[in-house]
Amino acid sequence: MLWHKGWLETRFRLLFALGFGASYCIAIHAIKAPDGPSVGKPILGVAIMMTIAVAAFSIMLSGAGIATQPSFQATKGLHGSTLFTLSLPVSRFRLLAVRAGIGWLEMAAASAAMCCAMWLVFPPLRATATPEEMIRYTVVLIVCASGLYSVPVLLATFLDDQWRLFGSGIVFGALWWLSNHTPLPASANIFRAMGEGSPLITHSMPWTAMAFSLELAAILFFTALKVVQLREY
Amino acid sequence: MNEYIIETNQLTKSFKGQPALRGLDLRVPVGSIFGFLGRNGAGKTTTIKALMGLLRADGGSARVFGIPVTDADGSIEVRRRIGFVTEDKELYPYMTVEQIIRFTRPFFPKWRDDLEQRYLKMFDLPPKKKIPDLSKGMRSKLMLLLAISRGAELLILDEPTDGLDPAATEDVLRELVAIAASSGTTMFFSSHQLAEVELIADHIGIIDQGKMVVAGSLDDMKAQYQRLQVVFTSSVEMPSRWVEGVEYVRQEGRVVSILASHNVDAIVEQARALPGTAVERFPVTLKEIFLEHVRSS
Repeated sequence: MLWHKGWLETRFRLLFALGFGASYCIAIHAIKAPDGPSVGKPILGVAIMMTIAVAAFSIMLSGAGIATQPSFQATKGLHGSTLFTLSLPVSRFRLLAVRAGIGWLEMAAASAAMCCAMWLVFPPLRATATPEEMIRYTVVLIVCASGLYSVPVLLATFLDDQWRLFGSGIVFGALWWLSNHTPLPASANIFRAMGEGSPLITHSMPWTAMAFSLELAAILFFTALKVVQLREY
Repeated sequence: MNEYIIETNQLTKSFKGQPALRGLDLRVPVGSIFGFLGRNGAGKTTTIKALMGLLRADGGSARVFGIPVTDADGSIEVRRRIGFVTEDKELYPYMTVEQIIRFTRPFFPKWRDDLEQRYLKMFDLPPKKKIPDLSKGMRSKLMLLLAISRGAELLILDEPTDGLDPAATEDVLRELVAIAASSGTTMFFSSHQLAEVELIADHIGIIDQGKMVVAGSLDDMKAQYQRLQVVFTSSVEMPSRWVEGVEYVRQEGRVVSILASHNVDAIVEQARALPGTAVERFPVTLKEIFLEHVRSS
């Protein structure tokens, strides 16, 4: 039942995310692809735009911790129904896991749908990537986005919805800057793994970055869990 | 089984250095209807939240069904056996009446379908209506339905009749008493409505500034507490010290009003010993007991 409740809370966010993805695809479709040796450039452009899109999906779909707030309503403070949720015989771990889990599934579904749509609407992508490569890229995108997705999940445990949106944007910007200005091995750079280091460009899987992303996701999720377990309502 | 379903010892809780509970000792007997009274900000909701595991006390201990509420697994077990009505009566705004019932039911293995149907009909709740479209009174009724149908051993109700009209209040109170009588469910409820507390409660606890100032059986309290009116025929000097049991003394001209919590006969004797006095005894209402304890503390 918690999954159903989560779905009711986030379905409009998912719809909005899909609408955002569709407008992205229309914009990509309008790009005139160059011929000859510069054909790789629009592919890199697509990969970078996909990275931005999944980051946006992560922010949109990460939910509001275990607080219950109406979809699309950036309300301040806890909604009163949070007390009703917390009066149920359910652990805070389960509440957070379901809330984060449903958002992650929606983020993965929106990312996969967008990859499919991109492959269909952008001929240079079809010319350079086979369906198998596109599937591999989708997997990389979802796994690498998981690390990013856990940032707004953590922020949602102690910030109101509107501050979570701004905060996530700032943290993503900071992470991107750090990934380019710190001596982090390029193979562990999750932004690079979704862009220039992605299977669309390198035709190989960025395993180190994927592992790094999953590790980051696990650390952030357990930090979020600690926050909700310690939090008073 | 334990004599008390809820037991707190020296429970303390502060918010940003402001004490909300200052060593609260609360004992709710099994099977009782316990009215928890106090002014706004006295600590009633903080106590209820601590019992429900929504916040952690800074000190002292709290047990429900003999289980410490600070224990994470124990707290889940406690919540499985409790029906809860929150102070603000807020439920999920995106659900209808029947959706919230369908959502809540699976969490409670002892869910009572018969009670669910009975209260749906009795409270005239429209199953297809969305929760934000319900009036506050209807939301209160829906919360009561969700709490009662859990088949709970203990109902914790924070201002349960808030928003209800007098007729609905009457119906709800009658039902609560019927449930307590038929299934032995313990009821712990906070309210500002002293008249309704007096109507259904058999035990009372008055909290003020985070401390229990008086607690016990309502019948005992009413039997022990009396108001004495002492009228002097001439100007008399009042005793500097009254015998034990006097809660307050108020003088207006030649009339002195005394609230006695116990030892009434000795107090009457002391008053009669003063020259030219007439002493009359009156029963007291819960309101008088409440107001005097809250004022004096």
